[in-house]
Amino acid sequence: MALKKVLLGLLAALVLGALAHAEPVSPTSHVAVAPDVAVNAKGEIALMWVDRAPEQQKKADGPHDNHLSSTDLYVAMSRDGGATFTAPVKVNQADGVVWGQQVSRPRIVSSNKGNWHIAYAANEVHPALNKVALTTHYTRSTDGGANFEPPKRLSTLTDKDLSHMIHGGFISAAAFATLAAAPDGSVHVVWIDTRNMGSERDTGAMYAATSRDDGKTFAPDRELMATGVCPCCQLVAVSDAASNILLGSRQVSGDNIRQSTVMRIAASSGMADTAVVTGGAPWQIAGCPLKPTVMAVKDGNIYTAAYNGGEAKPGVYFSMSADAGASYTKAALAHPEAAVSDAPSIATNGRYVLLAWHGKTTGARRVFYRMYNLKGEPAGSIAELAAGPENAQNPIVAARPDGKFQIAWQQADRIHTTTLPGAPGQVVRN
Amino acid sequence: MRSTIIAFAAVLGLAGFHVPATAQTVETISPAGLEAALQAERGKIVVVNLWATWCAPCLVEIPDLVRLESELADLKVKLIGIAVDEPKGSTTQIETMRKRYFPTFNTYARDKTEMDYLVSVIDPAWNEVVPTTYVLGRDGTLKKRIQGKKSLEEFKAEVRAAAQ
Repeated sequence: MALKKVLLGLLAALVLGALAHAEPVSPTSHVAVAPDVAVNAKGEIALMWVDRAPEQQKKADGPHDNHLSSTDLYVAMSRDGGATFTAPVKVNQADGVVWGQQVSRPRIVSSNKGNWHIAYAANEVHPALNKVALTTHYTRSTDGGANFEPPKRLSTLTDKDLSHMIHGGFISAAAFATLAAAPDGSVHVVWIDTRNMGSERDTGAMYAATSRDDGKTFAPDRELMATGVCPCCQLVAVSDAASNILLGSRQVSGDNIRQSTVMRIAASSGMADTAVVTGGAPWQIAGCPLKPTVMAVKDGNIYTAAYNGGEAKPGVYFSMSADAGASYTKAALAHPEAAVSDAPSIATNGRYVLLAWHGKTTGARRVFYRMYNLKGEPAGSIAELAAGPENAQNPIVAARPDGKFQIAWQQADRIHTTTLPGAPGQVVRN
Repeated sequence: MRSTIIAFAAVLGLAGFHVPATAQTVETISPAGLEAALQAERGKIVVVNLWATWCAPCLVEIPDLVRLESELADLKVKLIGIAVDEPKGSTTQIETMRKRYFPTFNTYARDKTEMDYLVSVIDPAWNEVVPTTYVLGRDGTLKKRIQGKKSLEEFKAEVRAAAQ
């Protein structure tokens, strides 16, 4: 019995020891939010966040167009499995133009060629209207994250002035974007667009731009849905093995019913099929839920998670499809013991599915995670990420080629990352 | 379905309506400051509204909340707004919106990037949805959490229930 206790103690120490490497990567004195993490086929890790440096804070304090943001986008790379990270590299070229926060976070992915692809929303002044618009931009790095190309604006800048009704005064908004890189070399950027909104239409449209040459060039943007998209619920895209794009979004129907859905953009046509509700009670709310629908895909299985406020006990709900998205299982509450659970992120390493979220049991907000097997059944118990006393929140997870998972999160004003095991009960040694 | 945009356009159309004296300039508030503000209103029904300048449904319901405070004055109702907009050091955008559309709205801005700490003074299980409106009883206890845009009559019913 005593030996068992000692062994358990050693095991706990090993786990905590591994997590104790989770030193913040973002610079001290900066305010860093909205992390994203991606891992390429070589195991290199790109950690990205929205950053406000002290000098940008001074600009924000001073007189300036109050619709302009004052944040930048930074990426730090690890080429040793997450043990160390390079100095952060600024992604955007014009200072302080990035419009990003947790609910509209810039996204980064890697492609088969090893390049890094980024989509983000940014401010620009409309040349004719002299007012500020919010547009979706793309950039990539072809040298391992050392440099990023000049950004391309993918969303068409329209002449419509909706500043009296959207997003606090922008004349138009193409934001809440996502991107996916497919095995066939295509890169897809999809965003929520206000260009069809007006006095009779208060939901967003879905627009996309696609590159067939690994991000070198993009075709003009195209409409996937004219209306019906929750205008403040970030989109999420992932590619399947056949280069079809699965797109998670929250669709609005009836009297403000906002349900999580997944649709497929066919690799052959580039057009979206019907959105399928991922399960769970309808959530009726005349407000801004600010809740994405996250996904991971393995063969014909799609694993989804989303916050649902329509359930008797609101929180993060998990469901899966075993028929390539035609139908979904009854959504199950991920963390029944939590007073609140939110901000899910999900990934699969091909053997297990890792779901992470933040929640509260007692005291501060904590990051929790749990594994599921490929049948969508819980595998192992809910674990809490070791973190400091401040709120730990907004986790994001990615699968690594070594079978482990990389997780990043925000704690106070810093971005942290660490490695999680690839199967229940395993221990990570960094 | 009543269009949120139509309703918001109606709000904008109110620019020419009677403009009462303005509330104080928007100030930032910390968790300790919020606790103190709530303590100072003990004995009243306190309505705390979380809103954002980019949240159209929020902007639609704020004029109704302002009316709630005056129309139920006999119940001693106090309205406190907290804008969840990203803090930028200045509160220019919030103040511009407040002055233009609801000048008597008594609202604060958050003082830090972290919003959960602030709202946890009232509701540790806030799910970051806006608008969220809390109705607190005369003893400061939370009586009702309301999410999504509601009508003036719905708010009145909740306040009256809290006053029982």
